[in-house]
Amino acid sequence: MKNVLLTISAVASLGLLGSCTKEPLNNLTEGESRIYITNYDSTASFASYKTFSIVDSVAVISNNRLEGKAVSDYDIAIIAALKSRLQQQGYTLVNKSQQPDLGINVSRIYNTSTGVISYPDYWGSYYGFYDPFYWGYPGIGYGFPSYYGTYSVTEGALSIDALDLKDAGADKKIEGVWMGLVRGSGVFRAANAPGQVNTLFDQSGYFKTNQ
Amino acid sequence: MKTSYKIFAVLVVGLLAAGTASAQYGRLNLNINYSINTPVGDFKDVVNKTSYRSWAASLLYGINDKISVGLGTGFQDFYQKYPRQVYKLEDGGDISAVLTNSVQTIPILAQAQYNFTPGAVVQPYVGVGVGGNLILYRQYLGEFGSSATKFGFAARPEAGVFIPFRKGGPAGITVRADYNYMPIDYNELQGVSNWGAGVGVKFPLQ
Repeated sequence: MKNVLLTISAVASLGLLGSCTKEPLNNLTEGESRIYITNYDSTASFASYKTFSIVDSVAVISNNRLEGKAVSDYDIAIIAALKSRLQQQGYTLVNKSQQPDLGINVSRIYNTSTGVISYPDYWGSYYGFYDPFYWGYPGIGYGFPSYYGTYSVTEGALSIDALDLKDAGADKKIEGVWMGLVRGSGVFRAANAPGQVNTLFDQSGYFKTNQ
Repeated sequence: MKTSYKIFAVLVVGLLAAGTASAQYGRLNLNINYSINTPVGDFKDVVNKTSYRSWAASLLYGINDKISVGLGTGFQDFYQKYPRQVYKLEDGGDISAVLTNSVQTIPILAQAQYNFTPGAVVQPYVGVGVGGNLILYRQYLGEFGSSATKFGFAARPEAGVFIPFRKGGPAGITVRADYNYMPIDYNELQGVSNWGAGVGVKFPLQ
């Protein structure tokens, strides 16, 4: 009987030990949970662009549908942070009517599906939500290189696209030359906006001009 | 195959003839140990932090006074979080993330043990286990993870001492160290071998 009890307690102890696996997700702060992905068109010459303009509202995309344009506190903060950082990178902010070399689109993407989407699908699904007409090019489409890999989207993501407007007329296409994506917990907290923009640009050392 | 079978048969007969005894002969003994494990070799590229969340166990039948055979198992949990860093993606893109690696291993081994001084107050022993290893590998970039479950080879040589609660008794405490040879070839995970040390209890089940 003593041995039976001993065995039961020993097995129970093992069960307890086995259950004390250190769970990665329980050991992350909100800031640590976020990832920042950037990619760019390696044929683009970022130094050749001098001016930029940025959208005045943010596209809200939910489950592959454009819900509308929004101007929340977060949207204002992210647009302000982008203006400030792009000027630090040497670009001049101009009105979109002044033929900017670069156009900056900002989107908030919400996807409650648990499916896996690839980057080409990402572009394919989302780039059209900003009407090319906004940038003064009615009737032509966006073109994005097909980037890499697959990832799953189950939560909100901030997406920033830099568009080549300088060559859009000649190319008959608005080419995306840079993309920044932020995913994770607390993405859409206004206080996090400047830090997010800085992280994206800090890892994109090529994205600057010399004036 | 036939030759090895014969060698095995001779060994078993030899071991059975080697001696008779009190403490472990004819008994089924359970030995359970808390263990601290430290990665070695290529495993250190994935996790180099010592784990304090592991255990090792064996269920051995004493075929004579000195030798017992049976099954060995265990559980090891390795975890490491690397500070935020920018990683290059294959196509030229960049990703900034806090990287977390999490590895659990569960070996299932055929095990044999040799006790040098049965009946003594302190009984040193050596043992070896050979078998398979279930490996759960998870890698997280921020909160975004991927996981893989793999099965590999495992060998676990060990050495320790058994200190019975009463002289000549079958139950007591064990203090042991082992080397867990655990090769695996999966992406950056090239082996999960580690050193372990721990204390535990041993007692007969019948």
